[in-house]
Amino acid sequence: MERTVSVPLYIGAFLMSLAVFLLGIYVGSTMNSSHLASISEDVSSVSDRVASVQLIMLMEGNSSSFCSAYSSELDAIDSEVERMGYMLSYLEDEKGVYDNELKKKYFVLEAESYVLSKKVKSLCGDDSVLLINFYSNQGCGQCKEQGTEILEARDALEAEGTDIKLFSFDGELNSSVADALAAQYGITSYPSVVINEKAYDGFREADALKTLIKGSS
Amino acid sequence: MISYAVAFFSLFTLNVFILLFLKHRHEFLKRPKSNGRFPMVSVVVPAYNEAAYIHESLQSLLELDYPKDKLEIIVVDDGSTDDTFKAAKAVESKTAPIHVFRKENGGKGAALNFGIKKAKGEFIATMDADSYVTKDTIREILPYFDDPEVMAVSPAVKIKPGGSWLTELQRVEYLMILFSRKLFSFIDSVPVTPGPFSIFRTAVFDKVGLFDEHNLVEDQEIALRIQSHNFKIRSSMTADVYTEPPDNVKDLLKQRVRWQRGGFRNYWKYRHMIKPEYGDFGMYSIPMQFATLTAFFALLGIMLYTFITTPYYVRYIWFEAFGMGVDLFTFIGAFVVLVSTLFLYLAVKSFEGEKVKLRYFVTFLAFYWYLMLGYNVLFLLKEIRKEGFSW
Repeated sequence: MERTVSVPLYIGAFLMSLAVFLLGIYVGSTMNSSHLASISEDVSSVSDRVASVQLIMLMEGNSSSFCSAYSSELDAIDSEVERMGYMLSYLEDEKGVYDNELKKKYFVLEAESYVLSKKVKSLCGDDSVLLINFYSNQGCGQCKEQGTEILEARDALEAEGTDIKLFSFDGELNSSVADALAAQYGITSYPSVVINEKAYDGFREADALKTLIKGSS
Repeated sequence: MISYAVAFFSLFTLNVFILLFLKHRHEFLKRPKSNGRFPMVSVVVPAYNEAAYIHESLQSLLELDYPKDKLEIIVVDDGSTDDTFKAAKAVESKTAPIHVFRKENGGKGAALNFGIKKAKGEFIATMDADSYVTKDTIREILPYFDDPEVMAVSPAVKIKPGGSWLTELQRVEYLMILFSRKLFSFIDSVPVTPGPFSIFRTAVFDKVGLFDEHNLVEDQEIALRIQSHNFKIRSSMTADVYTEPPDNVKDLLKQRVRWQRGGFRNYWKYRHMIKPEYGDFGMYSIPMQFATLTAFFALLGIMLYTFITTPYYVRYIWFEAFGMGVDLFTFIGAFVVLVSTLFLYLAVKSFEGEKVKLRYFVTFLAFYWYLMLGYNVLFLLKEIRKEGFSW
């Protein structure tokens, strides 16, 4: 028998596959930008909440009434802010979707809630630990690992009843807020952590972090 | 990047099948018209420890709607240690065209060759002793041989419905394999003449040689050899043959690992056919086999890698991560699943009178992957450890 290669068949199958692929790329990128848009919306709405707590604190200087009414709102804001950070990281790490402007906006919000938490901590005297993770997305081999170690330490200590509020900043994104915070704590290398306003540079494992956190409170 | 390549490859192979089906949908169930001749057909039945099934198997041959004087049944007892010989003899003494031979154990290929040398027919059917023909199996197949280039025809090997869930799942699988084999026959790429039952033009054995006696899947090797001589192999959708499938997971895995190891070796042996002069068989079917295996292991690797590298924080946002995880790959994955479902549906629907319960259909779609995973991993392990063969 004379054999032939059914070229049209394979071209047809190739074009069909390509069509599905292009459609997939379109759907994928649409969905990614819609994720970014929804995070951006969240950032704005939480910003508003932070601003109102700030305003009330300024208006009421009276610690006793403020603390009872607003520290739980602040806790909620902090965990919301943290969650948004993970979503942004997820988009970066797993999807390769970057939006530096949104990230800068997010850092402003994060810094606001950090400063607010610091104030409330001294005003209301609560014993939660404030932890800042300074990282860099540029050539920092151990930064991702450091993030994992911090979460591990945090989870272990929270199980023991220590409340830890976590804030993460990319020190090399040219975010003026992140840069100001880094300057304030003298951060020059990544990863570095700041535990209750004391800076420690270099990678640290979960156990070492736990000891540092316990010693700080 | 690798995941996109795997996704594109899966889409491509599915699309080839879909296009082939669309092109040939009208001739799918049709066979060539019979020429009214009844040539002599010899059926060779090698048997090793098949005492439990051989009686029923031979009985089904005797009930064939085919002139008895044009039929010759040759049973080759391959040194069974059970009552196979006695069981076959019992049928022989009652009815004429059965001849039972006994030889020292030498494997299925050797037993087949032993029987083929004794056969007098113009056509030789090979049949497993645990399989059963239906009345018109031979009459449905013979018309394909009117084309003088056709050297072998594979039948519609099926599993009887109504068994355990494991045999029901295999039944769905057999229908799917059958469906794709028919599609392959349209691009002259049938890669197997199934052991349960197949008919060969006797002359083909002079041209390409007898069965390979040292092969794990000799029914595939002979088909590849026939293809390498550029003869045609056709596939019938209407010549029903029923076979007994493994009824427990261990035996099933053992069977599949054997198929996979033997199949891989055979394709490797015929890799020289990857040339344009071998047409679709050389340029698509054989490369596709290697690509499928590569894609499978690549996918396995990607899954392991994803599992290991999933960031720790994902557990705080797993619900959102699930939502954000929807991307190109998910989309294509969903499309592949959708098209596979359609493919399987067409496969099952294309047979008249084959009904599959929805629950088996769904279970098959959901779990077939795990069976493949199991035997492919075992295949790889055994190949790495260079484990010996046994069957």
